[in-house]
Amino acid sequence: MVAAVAGSNLLSLRGLGKDYGERVAVEAVDLDVAAGTIFGLLGPTGAGKTTTISMIAGVVTPSRGNATVGGHAVAAGRAGFAARRAVGLVPQELALYEELTADQNLAFFGRLYGLDRATLADRTDWALGVVGLVERRRDAVSTYSGGMKRRLNIAAGMLHRPALLVLDEPTVGVDPQSRRHIFDTIRALRDGGMTVLYTSHYMEEVAELCDRVAIMDGGEVVALGSIAELVARHAGAPILELELAGDAAALLAARALAARHGAVEGTGPLLRLPRPAQLGPLLVDVETAGATVVRVTVASAGLESVFLTLTGRSLRD
Amino acid sequence: MLLATIKKDLQLLLRDRGALISLFLLPVVFIAVFGAFFSGDNDGDRRAIAVWAADTPRTRAVVTALEGSQLFEVERVASAEAARAAVAADRVSAAVILPADFDPAAGRPGELAIDEALAPQVRLPVQGALQAIVHYAVFPPALGADLPVLVAATPPGIQRALRDVDAFQLSVPGNAVLFGFFLALTVGLAFAEERRWGTWRRILAAPVPRATVLLAKLVPYGLVGLAQFAFLFGLGAGVFGMRVGGSLLALVVLTVAVVTCAVALGLAIAALGGSEKRMGSVGSVSLLIMGLLGGAMVPRAIMPPLLKTVGLAVPHGWALDGYFTLLVRDGASLADVLPQIGAILGFAAVFAAFGVWRFRFER
Repeated sequence: MVAAVAGSNLLSLRGLGKDYGERVAVEAVDLDVAAGTIFGLLGPTGAGKTTTISMIAGVVTPSRGNATVGGHAVAAGRAGFAARRAVGLVPQELALYEELTADQNLAFFGRLYGLDRATLADRTDWALGVVGLVERRRDAVSTYSGGMKRRLNIAAGMLHRPALLVLDEPTVGVDPQSRRHIFDTIRALRDGGMTVLYTSHYMEEVAELCDRVAIMDGGEVVALGSIAELVARHAGAPILELELAGDAAALLAARALAARHGAVEGTGPLLRLPRPAQLGPLLVDVETAGATVVRVTVASAGLESVFLTLTGRSLRD
Repeated sequence: MLLATIKKDLQLLLRDRGALISLFLLPVVFIAVFGAFFSGDNDGDRRAIAVWAADTPRTRAVVTALEGSQLFEVERVASAEAARAAVAADRVSAAVILPADFDPAAGRPGELAIDEALAPQVRLPVQGALQAIVHYAVFPPALGADLPVLVAATPPGIQRALRDVDAFQLSVPGNAVLFGFFLALTVGLAFAEERRWGTWRRILAAPVPRATVLLAKLVPYGLVGLAQFAFLFGLGAGVFGMRVGGSLLALVVLTVAVVTCAVALGLAIAALGGSEKRMGSVGSVSLLIMGLLGGAMVPRAIMPPLLKTVGLAVPHGWALDGYFTLLVRDGASLADVLPQIGAILGFAAVFAAFGVWRFRFER
């Protein structure tokens, strides 16, 4: 395991990019991840998150730039082995042999990292204990629930106790209970000194888990910092959402509001605009325009607002 | 890495009933069916014919000759109509009908009732044998006609054949080679499955040289291929009575070459990529055609000259030539099958070179 000094950078990317023919998947990413932290890579599908972590894990060869893990260069061939030993990859797919048991899966993946028999036995007990699958260790993976498979997927990635655990969308398709279990596991690993790189397109997850965040879009990192820093820097004013009854009246109301209160998003029943200091005059204007307000919501500024400000669209678009 | 992958892939294969059936059980069924199909030369399998003959000295001589020939199971029937009906009902292969005025010398031949739509390779031997027997019975032998004029002998440079070569000496190696090369498809699909499962990414992320990753993925299937041939030849010898006329060492070396070639072809298939569905359909059709051309289903010996030559454009043809030599020829040695082994390893080298050149780890 690579010794990670808390506060120092465990992972550093400099101009890291990947092209597939003419298509640029990742432009040139620069970022540092401090040891002992959970770092979030947030972005919509196709933003380049998976390609970025695939380059870090040595699965995809970069077209440009470089990456180091614990000071070891991520490189092809034997030159990159030290960095690979320092990284544990938890792919987005359930990268498991469904017909084999948890023990058999972990035995194979442990051997890939050169774990001897005794170490493998210890690590298997530890990893299955952390993810709460000791009782089912001799059952075929095909008999597991989706959440259990996700947890075993994580166990396989952390079996060799990497300095950096890279999790690619690890909660896709899992129930809330398993999601909670996965979050607890990740925090426990971080508290135990492991550095975690966590990709997701769920901003709630990133907001809850991560110490620092990079927002990716179109193959580029468009913002980087702690959540508080990003919100302060990019989120702008809180957003007011008005849900109105009827499309025609809402259209009239939207015009009236745009004339009196500035930019209004949407022309249907749901309108979004910067929250005014006083709500009363705005509601009067809506009713004067002949529309009926069904619901009023004030969205506090958060990562969603940051993403909206930076990219001009919602994260879920 | 190597041992761990062998263990893991064997564990997976043992749980894959479809693969086990296609690699081990299906060839046994084919061997049994083809072996029985081509074993038509035993006493119990003589072709049945019906005979109706008016009672005259000439017809009595013919019937006696037919019964004494040992080539046919002769069934005497009560009338010419009954003889024709037996052919029409497919109860007998042919019927010989000899009326009272039967006299070929006077231009009054008998009747041979036979379905003229039968495949020539079935109809002509029956027709020819019956013509010869009847002709010999009717016309007095010319001077010296009963003396042998040609005696079969194996020329120098070719090992003598075993006595009583049977159909299983063709059907066992034929189907072993046909299904042995299907291992290539199993190898190609194994790579595609690793990619689909996502485990390929995990393997690539490990500190293991990529050449080792490739080799470790191929070796288990090589072992499975050797086990498959050992099983099929063992079963052929133990259950179907297949005998080996030549060297056992040569048989092992030839089999290792064939399995190496099949695994290398699997790498080439994996390198071509495509969906598992496409790989399965295109791959199995291609392997069937290769097997057909190479003589795995119909021996190349009975193919037209052009097809016989084309059969050597696929490794199956060389493999079967080698197995034929070792199984059928008495005392055949490793030296006798070196050309075949060389050719098969040549194919293996071409497949492997293509596979390594074209294989994409990152896709």
